[in-house]
Amino acid sequence: MVDVNAVNLATNVLLLGALYSLVAIGFTLIFGVGGVLNLAHGAVLSIGAYSAVAVVRATGSVPLAAVAAAAGAGLFSLAFYKGMIRYARESPVLVLILTLVMGLVIEQVVLVAFGGQALAVPSLLAGQTEVAGQRLSNNRVFVFALSWLLIGGLFYFVNRTKTGQAILATSMSEKGAALVGIEADRVYTYTWILAGVLAGLAGLFLASFQTATPLMGRTPLLLSFSIVVIGGLGSIRGSVIGAYLISFLDQVTVTLVSTRLAGVSALVVLVLVLLIKPEGLFGRELAEH
Amino acid sequence: MAGNTDTGVRTWGELLDPRSMATHQQLGLVAILALFVLPLVLPAIWAFRVAGALFFATFVMSWDFVSGYTGEISFGHGLFFGVGGYAAGMANLHLDVDPWLAVFVGVAAAGAAGLLIGFPSLRLQGPYFSLVTLVTPIILISVFRFFPDLTGGELGLVGVGTVDKFGDLLFLPSPGFSPIGAAYLALGVFLFALVVFVAVTRSDAGMVLTGIREDETAVAATGKNPAKFKLFAFVLSGLIGGLAGATYGFSAVGSFTVSELLALVISIEVIVAAILGGMGTITGAAFGGAFFYILRTVMRNIEFIGELYFLVFAVVTLLFLFFLPQGIVPAAVNRLFAGGSPGEPVTDGGSTDAMAVLRDWMDRLGGEKR
Repeated sequence: MVDVNAVNLATNVLLLGALYSLVAIGFTLIFGVGGVLNLAHGAVLSIGAYSAVAVVRATGSVPLAAVAAAAGAGLFSLAFYKGMIRYARESPVLVLILTLVMGLVIEQVVLVAFGGQALAVPSLLAGQTEVAGQRLSNNRVFVFALSWLLIGGLFYFVNRTKTGQAILATSMSEKGAALVGIEADRVYTYTWILAGVLAGLAGLFLASFQTATPLMGRTPLLLSFSIVVIGGLGSIRGSVIGAYLISFLDQVTVTLVSTRLAGVSALVVLVLVLLIKPEGLFGRELAEH
Repeated sequence: MAGNTDTGVRTWGELLDPRSMATHQQLGLVAILALFVLPLVLPAIWAFRVAGALFFATFVMSWDFVSGYTGEISFGHGLFFGVGGYAAGMANLHLDVDPWLAVFVGVAAAGAAGLLIGFPSLRLQGPYFSLVTLVTPIILISVFRFFPDLTGGELGLVGVGTVDKFGDLLFLPSPGFSPIGAAYLALGVFLFALVVFVAVTRSDAGMVLTGIREDETAVAATGKNPAKFKLFAFVLSGLIGGLAGATYGFSAVGSFTVSELLALVISIEVIVAAILGGMGTITGAAFGGAFFYILRTVMRNIEFIGELYFLVFAVVTLLFLFFLPQGIVPAAVNRLFAGGSPGEPVTDGGSTDAMAVLRDWMDRLGGEKR
């Protein structure tokens, strides 16, 4: 029994760590580059998941649904930045509340449009595989691989391409970036789209092996807070490490102590890190915004 | 108002003379007088609603006092209502303390919570601090869920046993059972909070809090310690939030449950109401709170909209934030009553009447100690 639990725990940690990385990277990108703490980020997961639900209902095609999840969430994110956040950027307090309320609006719209019950999204890949004596659905393996593919692709994009380097430069110093001819507004637009697409896909993945609910983004958002604070707000590498730490901590607490404490250990860690070492365990200095 | 410094210091009597007030202030007084009469003339169900609205307005004011003034946005003000309420309720339930005395337990506990939340704010600012406030009530709810024998978990204290309600107090019919009593108790708590908050925010301390919101470094540069003022704001906000939470729970309108006092929704509704009314004004928050509560109650009772009320509110708030970020009350005061004129410039930078009176009193009491 103990062995089975350990394998189960390990696969859960691996899979959820990868998923939370996707969510947290988008969150940390928007914060690190634009200085905006996007509290609507969790709701973008719902947009992704429910776009997929709608497309599956209409066409029955799972690949199309995945495209819809990415596109729906990305478009929303773009529209939110272009239509609202851009105009309110001078006032951080206003932005913070705007994102919070926007998150609520999305949740409520989804609730009204699709109802509050949990909806199933078809698996991206059917069947089961046996790993270390534990039967694993192919879907989970596939989601895991796909998540890491996305994370890897993002690392490549940010570190090796011109656009990615422009994003990094802006996150380090907006003025410096402007001096070498990088247009901040365009960079912000990229980060919002990127974050939206990643969150939309994470929402689809999460829905494919759990279910889609209107409030499904809340726990990942709360965990993202802890993840990015541990990793250092604005650091992509730190987010991945933080995501694994947090998913490990959370799964261990849930498995060994009590399911009633789901998510709490992460929040306690968040408060402690903020109080003791606010620049994060691995991260850079606090962003200067 | 900036031009009224010519006569120097006015006495309390002159200051509080309704005839000398601006139109919107007179309207406010009329509204408060109406609140005294309403519970008597309205049907009992509306007395309940007035009581609920006034408690909620007090919650909103206690949020506005911290976040509207210092600019450190608290996303979890439910913590104070919850700590105040639950501490009082549990003191009654487990230790048999009389509700009227248990309220003080709640107030003290909420004040302590204000101190605890205030301390991080000395170290963290902006979004980092907001994160701490957002997360703290969620942690507390989980702790409650972990000790259902003491707290009743999600169900609230009802799940553990019967909490007493307020008994009679002097001439007041028991606020724990009578709608009229509850309405007057709520009015008392509301007016107390209103007077305290208005007095503090219109004093020099209020100027410092506003200064912290605008530029903390500049406040520090004038030799004042922003940390001290922020901590003070949090403790006072906690005390009054706790008072409202505790009295709400023991009154006929409320009970001690997570969803009524501590849930994220409450903290957010408080912010929404304050934004609607006008952040950083106290009076706007009071109006916004009462308005929000009544509108919510009415909307919930309408067949179709009842399901959608939170969506409608969220959308309305979003639009308000975007197009009228200063809120209803300040916008109305500026456009309707003040004619949009900023007043005559004065050489000393100007000061409000209330400030002048307060300064006079401070001098009499032995000068300013800062």
